[in-house]
Amino acid sequence: MVKIENLNKFYEIDGQKQYVLNAINLNIQKGECVILKGVSGSGKTTLLSIIAGLDKPSSGKVLVDGEPISKLPDMHLSSFRAQKIGIVFQNFNLLDGVSLADNAMVPLIASGIGLKEAKLKAQDALKLANIDHKANKTPIELSGGEKQRGAIARALVANPNLILCDEPTANLDRANSLSFIQTLKELHNMGKTIIVATHDSLFEELDFEHRVVEISQGSLVGRG
Amino acid sequence: MRNNSFFYFLTLNLLKEKRRFVGIVLISTLLIFLLSSVLFISSSIKHTLNQTLIAQPDFIVQNIKGGRVSPIKDEQVDKIVDIFGVKKVTKRVYGRYFFDDKYSALIIGVDFLDEQSNKKLAKIMDSVDLKSFLSKDNMLVGQGVLNYLKSHYYTSNYNFLTPSGQMQKVNIFKALNVKSSLLSNDIIVMPLELAQKVLGLKENELTDIALNVPNDSEWANIKAKLESLNFSTRVVTKKDMKKAYENLFNYKGGLFLVLYLIVIATFSLLLYLRYSLASSLERKEIAILRAVGWSIKDVLKLKFLENIFLVIFAFVLGSSLAYIYVFILGAPLLKDIFLGGANLKQFTTFTPVVDYSVLSTIFIVFAVAFLGSVLIPVWKIAVTEPKEAL
Amino acid sequence: MNELFLNNYVIVYLFSEAVLFLIALYAFFKDISILRFWDFNNFSSKQLKLEKQSYLLSTIATFIFTLKLTLLIYFVYMIDSLSIIIPGAMCGAGVISANSYGMSLLFVKLITIFTFLLFLTLNNLDLKAKNYPLLKFKSWVLLAGLLLIFLETYLDIAYLFNIDLSVPVSCCSALFGNLEGANPLPFGLDIKMLLILYYTLFVSIILSLLLDNKLLTAVTLILFAVISYYAVVYFFGTYIYELPTHKCPFCMMQKEYYYIGYFVWGTLFSALFFGLIWVIIGLLKYESKVLKRITVTSLVLFVSLCSAYVLYYYFKNGVFL
Ligand SMILES: Nc1ncnc2c1ncn2[C@@H]1O[C@H](COP(=O)(O)OP(=O)(O)OP(=O)(O)O)[C@@H](O)[C@H]1O
Ligand SMILES: [Mg+2]
Repeated sequence: MVKIENLNKFYEIDGQKQYVLNAINLNIQKGECVILKGVSGSGKTTLLSIIAGLDKPSSGKVLVDGEPISKLPDMHLSSFRAQKIGIVFQNFNLLDGVSLADNAMVPLIASGIGLKEAKLKAQDALKLANIDHKANKTPIELSGGEKQRGAIARALVANPNLILCDEPTANLDRANSLSFIQTLKELHNMGKTIIVATHDSLFEELDFEHRVVEISQGSLVGRG
Repeated sequence: MRNNSFFYFLTLNLLKEKRRFVGIVLISTLLIFLLSSVLFISSSIKHTLNQTLIAQPDFIVQNIKGGRVSPIKDEQVDKIVDIFGVKKVTKRVYGRYFFDDKYSALIIGVDFLDEQSNKKLAKIMDSVDLKSFLSKDNMLVGQGVLNYLKSHYYTSNYNFLTPSGQMQKVNIFKALNVKSSLLSNDIIVMPLELAQKVLGLKENELTDIALNVPNDSEWANIKAKLESLNFSTRVVTKKDMKKAYENLFNYKGGLFLVLYLIVIATFSLLLYLRYSLASSLERKEIAILRAVGWSIKDVLKLKFLENIFLVIFAFVLGSSLAYIYVFILGAPLLKDIFLGGANLKQFTTFTPVVDYSVLSTIFIVFAVAFLGSVLIPVWKIAVTEPKEAL
Repeated sequence: MNELFLNNYVIVYLFSEAVLFLIALYAFFKDISILRFWDFNNFSSKQLKLEKQSYLLSTIATFIFTLKLTLLIYFVYMIDSLSIIIPGAMCGAGVISANSYGMSLLFVKLITIFTFLLFLTLNNLDLKAKNYPLLKFKSWVLLAGLLLIFLETYLDIAYLFNIDLSVPVSCCSALFGNLEGANPLPFGLDIKMLLILYYTLFVSIILSLLLDNKLLTAVTLILFAVISYYAVVYFFGTYIYELPTHKCPFCMMQKEYYYIGYFVWGTLFSALFFGLIWVIIGLLKYESKVLKRITVTSLVLFVSLCSAYVLYYYFKNGVFL
């Protein structure tokens, strides 16, 4: 599903190359659940955003579902992202002033889908994320856990195969975090490929099949 | 459109952001209102003038003495009738009569027995009993004249003072009621011979002679023939008059428009700055859209439709308000500025004419300025990196 | 400076052209840098910036195209309305021939619109592919379009500033009317031959479109456009005016004729432009059914409209003009 070969990412600061990601090689199979572990600043978010096509690598090759994602023109990259990748952000990133139902619809809109169909799909996704009872509420009216369910619904609405989560539990209390892990398990059982970047210790005791990949100062620790 | 999710989101976004747009829409509406009002007024006046021109003859033959128009002898009429291709040769007697320093009216003499007279007058005369009208020295007066006479206690007749110092008593027969407000208010219609007396013309003298030439391509030819009739003859064509009207209003309208474009340029600059200073919140929202799968093209589409909607909204609002202001309220304030205080009474109301060319002029000026100035800032927001959402 | 520059239409027209000129100038430099530095296989931030700039350019091109099209109609309307203040002119024909720049300006306007339409089509194809295959080509086309805008701006100024309001111009009957003995038609054609050519070429275009023959389509289309110009001015126009001596490409755009001229010329140019673009992208190995359909539709509309005027006159009066 995800194939990364010799990936480098550096920022040039005062003419000096500062490597954020260094010679990363990683292979993730379809249906796998990967926990990307590492301290703050180790490069988890950067790696995740390169896999999602939100950021470009400095060199190297990234294939997602067979597509060379870092070399796709914007139009193709965007529609690929809309259809194949669902992202759950650390701070949820819902649109303010827009109801959860409409928020969940956003990824579908760009593909030119009809309004009725989009609304139905959003409704289904909200149900899947267990938040359909708050469909008409805007983000301000919701708690952190509820916002996150909304964000999950949005990530699932186009029925993508790859789900990327960046610090999904950082803004949640323990109960909500556990419930998130429960949702993750359901997604895993549905056969989705999942990558979670986190330093939350809760993810160390998952009760379903997963792989832990550790990243430190931009390099993977051990075998990828 | 109804089932289009993109438009649904667009309206959602517009409603959500309405507070951000209020200022821009208000200023835009005001600017459009201003331009629309001025253009509506000038096109209405032009229309009214052209309307009266339609009824005007193609050619007017005048006598020039010392560089000024002076009465023309009526034997010229016979010579003109003989020119091949000339139709509807009409003797015309008219002139201004000053009731006092401030008020004057146009006296029009009509040869009532001549069926070739002005079409418009024929319409007026429909409701007048010609026999009793011609039996005495009678006149028809416009509403403005009637009001003036009433306020000076002349209810049944008026004594005109002719240039030779004699009094000429004329009865007020009836008030005129004509659609074209430009003509109707301050005119007096009376039989030709009576008008000659009041205006101090001799019996064989006319103000000018009007004629028509149905075949356009004969115009130049006939104009030359007319001019060669007499050394002191001047020929004015309908096109000359049209051009004179056109230029008259172009001066005022054009100067206004140039000033207006300077205001618009300032507005564009402000708009450019306003859009360039996109809030971090707005950037974040675009980044989110981009992150969940919107392409740069989609965002550009959203943002441009948003702005096009603003332009259309302000345009419809501004021009409708201007319509109400000019044609229903009669353009208070602006009328005084535009007409410069002269001949004000002629335009109590404006005939509502709004043609495509005026509307498209307003729209083009505004849309070019507005969209042109937000073009680059909007693009800058649209290419926000999606990773800013993380 | 004269009364012309106080005319509302002229002021608004010049203002819009000036704004477009400034935007085109900006786009010109951006386009140059794309032509110079574009390297799709590079990961550098410079390349990323250029990719974003290419979106700016297509946005600007869309803006320019839309406005130029609107302004062309506005310009023709303006020219017609100026006939009031220009001595001798009865319609746009006299005004546009007030000096030698007028016709060139109109011609350049048409080519500019064609170039931008071509760019937008290429851009669409380019964005659909995964590796910007048409980037260099479309950028050159854009460059040509921008240069045409500069030329147009020059001609705008040259034309409007050189109209002398004291010198009478010719009216359309003098410009297009039959001069004694002289045949105004090209290649020594007479009206009958002109019409035979007109309808033959029409059928040939349809056939070559159906056969997907690019070269034949291009040749017949261009010939047809030329023949159509004469056919409309010297034959079909007289049926629009219902007057055998009235020969003018401009008068039919007046209100008296229900602005039908805009539609007549619009469908002709739509067929010509979309047809040629279909040929050009065909040579680049792209197929477009939509373009073909637009071409055929415009062509059929144009020919039926012209013919309808003749038939209508015949049924009404029982004779031809
Ligand atoms: N635009 C940039 N310019 C320079 N350095 C950057 C830039 N963006 C990120 N970095 C650096 O890249 C490194 C990795 O950042 P990243 O966000 O991937 O870390 P992370 O593992 O997600 O950390 P956290 O757990 O705090 O979210 C950091 O040291 C950061 O300073
Ligand atoms: Mg992070």
